[in-house]
Amino acid sequence: MSRFRMTLSVFVVLALFATASVAQDITSSLTAGKAELQSAGVMTFGSNGVLFVADSLGATIYAIDTQDRTPSTASSMNVTGLRDKIAGLLGTTPDQVLVSDVVVNPISRNAYVSVARGLGPTAVPVIVRVTPAGQLSTVSLDNVRHSKVALPNPGNVGTGRGNARAQSVTDMGIADGRLFVAGLSNEEFASTLRSVPLPFPPSIDKGTSIEIWHGNHNRFETNAPVRVFVPYKVGQQSNILAAYTCTPLVKFDVSALKPGTKVVGTTIAELGSGNSPIDMIVYNKDGKEFFLMSNDRRGVMKLPTTGLGSIAAITARVPNDAVGPSGVAGTAGVPYETISTLTNVQQLDKFNDQLALILQLNTGSLDLKTVPLP
Amino acid sequence: MLLSITARGVFAACLLLLFQQPAIRFVPDRGVFLLEGWPDAVQQTPERRAELFTVSVDKPDVPPLLGKYSMENGAVIFTPQYSIQAGIRYKAVAMIPGMSPLSIVAEIPKRVVAPSTVVANVYPSTNVLPENQLKFYIHFSGSMSQGDAFDHIALLDGSGTRIEQPPFLIRSGELWDREFRRFTLFFDPGRVKRDLGPSLEFGPALQEGKRYTLVVDSSWKDAESNPLKQEFRKTFTVGPPDRKPLDLDAWKITRPRSGTRDPVVVEFPEPMDHAILLRELDVLDLTGTVISGPVGLDRDETRWQLTPSSPWKKGDYILQVGTVTADLAGNMVGRAFEVDLFEKIDERLIRQTRTIPFTID
Repeated sequence: MSRFRMTLSVFVVLALFATASVAQDITSSLTAGKAELQSAGVMTFGSNGVLFVADSLGATIYAIDTQDRTPSTASSMNVTGLRDKIAGLLGTTPDQVLVSDVVVNPISRNAYVSVARGLGPTAVPVIVRVTPAGQLSTVSLDNVRHSKVALPNPGNVGTGRGNARAQSVTDMGIADGRLFVAGLSNEEFASTLRSVPLPFPPSIDKGTSIEIWHGNHNRFETNAPVRVFVPYKVGQQSNILAAYTCTPLVKFDVSALKPGTKVVGTTIAELGSGNSPIDMIVYNKDGKEFFLMSNDRRGVMKLPTTGLGSIAAITARVPNDAVGPSGVAGTAGVPYETISTLTNVQQLDKFNDQLALILQLNTGSLDLKTVPLP
Repeated sequence: MLLSITARGVFAACLLLLFQQPAIRFVPDRGVFLLEGWPDAVQQTPERRAELFTVSVDKPDVPPLLGKYSMENGAVIFTPQYSIQAGIRYKAVAMIPGMSPLSIVAEIPKRVVAPSTVVANVYPSTNVLPENQLKFYIHFSGSMSQGDAFDHIALLDGSGTRIEQPPFLIRSGELWDREFRRFTLFFDPGRVKRDLGPSLEFGPALQEGKRYTLVVDSSWKDAESNPLKQEFRKTFTVGPPDRKPLDLDAWKITRPRSGTRDPVVVEFPEPMDHAILLRELDVLDLTGTVISGPVGLDRDETRWQLTPSSPWKKGDYILQVGTVTADLAGNMVGRAFEVDLFEKIDERLIRQTRTIPFTID
C-alpha cells in the first residue's frame, strides 16, 4: 500500500533523487505472546520482516515479527478471486470477508492481506499471507513475537460516561526511525497525524498536528485529516508526501514533524476535486524517481519527484475551469500522468523494482496481480 | 474368565473395525468433522491425514478450511480454526487410498428471526440545520454490519427525489464506534466549505431555505445479518450557514442548591454536537475532582444537565469545556470551522480546555 520500502540500493549514491528511507531493525524489542488484535486495518512493513498493523477498534498499533525473511526473486503474482479464496480458507462466504489492506514483504515478496472475518463488532481479524505462487495461509497471532502501543483517545475523565470516540487509522509509514500514523476520528474532523518512536515506547501521549494550506481553498485548512502518505528522501532530507480527500498533495519536512508543534506543509499539486486517494508508492525507473498514486475516481496517477524540493507552493485558489499542466481542469502544480491501463485499483504496493502489486476489482472479482511499474 | 471377557471384547472391536465402513460425520455441537472407521488412519502422518481428509465451503475453486487434525478413539478429527457458521454448507471429503471418495455436506440451519434492529436516534435532533452542517450521528438499537453503509444512506431533495451525488464523505471509509451501534456520517467538507472545488462543481451540500430527507433504508444489515426492522427518515429544513466560533459568554449556567442532588444545568444559544458535548464537558470542584453522575442532553442539544451522584457541597466549582466542543457546523470554542487561524494555532495547541467558574451556595 502507500508505503516506502527499504531498498537494496542503499549503497548507491542517490543524492540527486528522492529515495525511500531505511527502517531500523526492531526485532530484538519484540516479545513472544498472543497479539490480541481487535481489528486488522492498514499495514506497513518495517525492516527484517516486521509488519506494523493498525488495530483501529483496539486503538493500538502492533509490530509483528512475521519471521518471513527468506529472500525471493519471484517475478510475478496472480491470484484471481482473492476474496473468494480467503473466504474459503476461513470457512465463510465472500460477503462476510472485508479486505482492509494489502502490502508486500520486500524481502520475501509475499503479500499480506488484512481482513475481517465477519462484519460486526465480533468480527475476527485475520492476516492472510499470499505467496507469489498463490498459496494462502494465515499469520498466527496466538504466539508471535510482537510489541504494541496504544493510541491516545481523549475522553471523559473518571465520570463513567463512556467514550464512543474512535479513530480510524487511514495510513502508516516510517521515516527517520519513527512510525507516522494518520487517522480520522469518528467525532471531530481533525488531523491526527501521530509520530511514534521505534522501537515502541511504553506509551505515547501527544500527536503531531499538521496545518496545511489548500491550493484551491482560500484559507488555512487547519485540521484536515491526511488520507494517505508516503515517506521519501531527497538527499539526506526525509519528507512525507501527503494526500488529502479532495486532493491536494502536500509535502512536509519530516524533521519538522515533532509532537505538539504546528507544521505548515507545501502544497505542490492540486489533483482535482471529487476524488480521494487510496494508496501511494515511490519507485525508481530509468534513473528517475516517481510517485504512483491510486485514486477512487481519477484512476492511477504517476508524478515525477524531480524538482519537488524546489517547486513553488500553491498559495491561491485553483479555479475549477483552470487547466493545469496535466491538461486537466481544476488541477495545478506538479504535472501528472494518468495510467489508463490501470483501472479499479483498490490497493497498490511495490512488488519489486520493476513491478507493482495491485488488488483490482474485475466484474465482482477481487484479483491480486503484478503489473509493470509505469 | 476375566481374560476371556477381555479377549472377546478385543475380538469384537476387531470385528467391528473389520466390517465398519469408513464414514464422515459432522458433530454440530462441537463444530468438528470426524472420519471414522478407517483403521489405517492411526498409521498416517498428520500431513497425510490433512491431504486425505479435507473440509471446505461447498463451492467450486475454494481452498480447504484452515484447522487442526487430531485422533480420537481411532477417528480423525478435523477442528476448523474459525468456527463453523450457521447457514453455510460445508463439504467434507475423504480420499482413502483404494476406496471410492467419501463425502458429506453439512449445514447448521440459520435461525430465522424477525428483524428487530432499528435506527434509534439521529443527531442532531433539531429539524433545522445550518447550511454548513458537518455531520450526522446515526444511533442503532443494536450492533450493525460494516462494509456497505453508504449503499443504505440516501438524501432526498424537497420533492422526494434522490440526490445522485450525495454530499457525504464516502471515500474515507466507514466511521463506527466500537460496538458498531453509532455511525458517523460526515458531510464532505469539500461541499461544506466555501471556495473549495467540490463545492463549486456540485454546489453546496445543503442549500438554505430548502428541505431534505435523510433516508436509512431497511436493507442495511445488523451484526446478525438481519435487515433493519424498518426504514428511517429524518426530514429537515436548512437555515443560514453558521460560521461563528462558540462564545462561552453566551452559555447560561443554572446552579443547584447545596445539599440537593438537583442537576447543574448549562443552556446554549444553539444546538451542539451531541457526541463531543457528552465527551468534553465536566464539572470539577476546586480540588480538581470531577463530579460524577449521569449527564443528560435535551431540547435539541441546547441543554446539558449533570445530576451529581452525591449532594452538592457549598463552594466554588468550574465547568470545564474542551476547546474542541463544537456546534452543528464544527465551529469550536474560540475557533470557527472555516477561519484562517494560523496566528492562533500555538495557543490552541497549548490550551485544550476553558473553564467557567460558578459557586454553589
